Amino acid sequence: MGGPTSISAERVEVRYRNKLVWKDATFDIRPGEFVAVIGPNGAGKTTLFRMLLGLHWPSSGALTVFGARPRRGNYRIGYVPQRHTLDKETHLECDKLVRLAYPGTRWGPGKRWRPLQWGPRFNLAAERDAAAQALEDVGAPDLGTKALGALSGGELQRIFLAEALVGNPDMLLLDEPLSNLDLRRSRELVETIHGVVRSRGVTTLLVAHDINPMIKCLNKVIYIANGKVAVGTPDDVLTSARLSELYGVPVEVLHDSRGNIVIVGGEDDRGEEGA
Amino acid sequence: MSGGGWSGIPWSWNLFTDIRLLWSYEFMRNAIEAGTIIAILAGIIGYFVVLRRSAFASHALGHTGFSGAAAAVLVGVQPVYGLLIFTMATGSGMAVLGNRASSRDVEIGTVLAFALGLGLLFLSLYRGYAQEAYSILFGEVLGISTAQVAFTFWSSLLVLALLTLIYRPLLFSSLDEDVAEAKGMPLLLLNLAFMLVLAVAISFAVQIIGVLLIFALMVTPAAIAVRLTSRSLWAVIVSVFVAVTAVWAGLFVALWTNYPASFFIVGIIFVEYVCVRGVGSLRETALLQGVEAPEGDGVRSLRNASLIASVSQVLFVVGAALLTLALLAHPGGAWDPGQLYARASWAILALASAGILGAAASLLYFSGFRKMSTASREFINPAFLTLVGLLGIALTAGGLGLFLSGVALAASAYGLAPVAELFGVPLVFLGAILSVVGLVGQAVGSWRMGLRYQERALRTGAVLMVLPLVGYGVTYLGYRRALARGPAPPQSGPLE
Repeated sequence: MGGPTSISAERVEVRYRNKLVWKDATFDIRPGEFVAVIGPNGAGKTTLFRMLLGLHWPSSGALTVFGARPRRGNYRIGYVPQRHTLDKETHLECDKLVRLAYPGTRWGPGKRWRPLQWGPRFNLAAERDAAAQALEDVGAPDLGTKALGALSGGELQRIFLAEALVGNPDMLLLDEPLSNLDLRRSRELVETIHGVVRSRGVTTLLVAHDINPMIKCLNKVIYIANGKVAVGTPDDVLTSARLSELYGVPVEVLHDSRGNIVIVGGEDDRGEEGA
Repeated sequence: MSGGGWSGIPWSWNLFTDIRLLWSYEFMRNAIEAGTIIAILAGIIGYFVVLRRSAFASHALGHTGFSGAAAAVLVGVQPVYGLLIFTMATGSGMAVLGNRASSRDVEIGTVLAFALGLGLLFLSLYRGYAQEAYSILFGEVLGISTAQVAFTFWSSLLVLALLTLIYRPLLFSSLDEDVAEAKGMPLLLLNLAFMLVLAVAISFAVQIIGVLLIFALMVTPAAIAVRLTSRSLWAVIVSVFVAVTAVWAGLFVALWTNYPASFFIVGIIFVEYVCVRGVGSLRETALLQGVEAPEGDGVRSLRNASLIASVSQVLFVVGAALLTLALLAHPGGAWDPGQLYARASWAILALASAGILGAAASLLYFSGFRKMSTASREFINPAFLTLVGLLGIALTAGGLGLFLSGVALAASAYGLAPVAELFGVPLVFLGAILSVVGLVGQAVGSWRMGLRYQERALRTGAVLMVLPLVGYGVTYLGYRRALARGPAPPQSGPLE
């Protein structure tokens, strides 16, 4: 195909504590694509993110992010992990979290980005504007002065999204932002994320259990199951034939009249993955 | 102070001469200076302790410091050096195990118990066992030398400089460890730096408040602060304020009553914490949700409130003047309640009625702002602060009652007298602070009413609340005029 890639994987194999997680993954993700990462628990979705962030290395194969080997502290990636240290007792303004994530100014020779700012910050205006813009983009301009511990699940996810966006990244890695949200909130958040993907042109990978809230916005799906990885457009990957091949057992993909997808079988013949 | 036994200060009723007198004693100067430095340090670092949820870890660090101090006593050096070495070593160990490790209760508790046991062994090998154990466990603020103050000062400066350097990544990694890791922040280094900073702060704080009470100075002021504000800078300021005022009040009251300073410091912080928790939950309840009432009702309540408050202030000034005259005429009579009641009965009557009227006025202010809050949300905070002030008045009254009954009991030589005095004095102190908070709330509310009704007298009166007697009077006039005129039309509204 050619052209620039955001992520390029060539026969990547990954092990965790010497146990095979998945292998033979070959795919390209192009700039500005919105990609869902789907698969059962423990299939290695978060491991994929950790590899892209340079926190875990492939045991074989070649993986590149923006044409280079993944490295820790890559300012071009904004990351929202699945678990957070925050809880109800975190009495701190949301605005502060977003501002703390602001990566700072260029410094030194060339155009090196400073990944973290030591000491007090003096160019407060740039930081404040960037935080305000990020909060605006995620549709939460009025949440800035609220305490983190007082937010609902959906509001909190918007703040995390703003935190990831404030450094103006070229790629977003969102690990299960939709868990604990009801269907309506999920759809709203997906709309927000999709808006950001389009307006900022940022490549976005989103780990989810249910593909339905975002099925209309997706460019690609990465389906990880059974130690294997299938990548392609939703129509291409989410077919009975392709998933049966992936799982090695018969899997049926059902469509309803509104375009929703139900996947039957696959996980020991009892799961309803994606339903 | 180790068990009292020193009571050389000739107290007078003049606060200024008392403070000048205190300042003239070198050990007292040292105690106040060291106490202030340590309170500032503890207030700032405590904020990070609370955000990182390493409260128990900091408690445990204090306990390992006990064995360090005991070891230092055994080999004959200043306990603070032993404290520093042991807490820094344990802190480094905790940091290497990771931030998540420092919230493992069982492991920390096990090490903590062992450290206390070790300290016990060291001290029993030393001859002046009981005395040293007492001062390490409960603090010995009056035993701090001038050289130690200088050492504390420079080390604290160094620690705060380090904290200034790392506070951004530290705060961020406390809030979002996984993202911090992905961003390439050196988590281990940050952890290590913070644990060392914490170890130094704890080692110094132990000198004042002791190993067993360290929690109150290191953690509680920040816990109070984060309940009052969610802005980090304000939280640090409030935390420092709470710690410093508690240490000052504790030292002052301790010298006055000749009981341990540690108790008063811990006691004041405890009562403040309880109040903030209590008032904080009040804030969530229906009490502040506003009541449906016509706006005129609210203004009428506020008018009555300011009138009653003015009368209360007049009575207060008259009472205070009468009391001062009575005390000046018979300086010795202050400690004899019988004589005091006889000579200054009018003064006491005036002051008591001033207090009752003040409470009634606060209640009316509260109800007025609450009614106003249905019209505009901006009156919720004044209502809340007024409620805090009401609590302050209640505490002052309760504390005064306890104190006076203590004095009365002392006159008839009952053993319980000091206990009543002990609890009374900090309560009065705290109540006074909270009453000022209430006053500020009333001033802010009157200012906002002045803006809403475009009434200059209200705004002037709000500013004049620095002199409550004048301020209440002027706001009363303002509320009367506001009631006659009604609210100003909103400025952004359409013109017809």
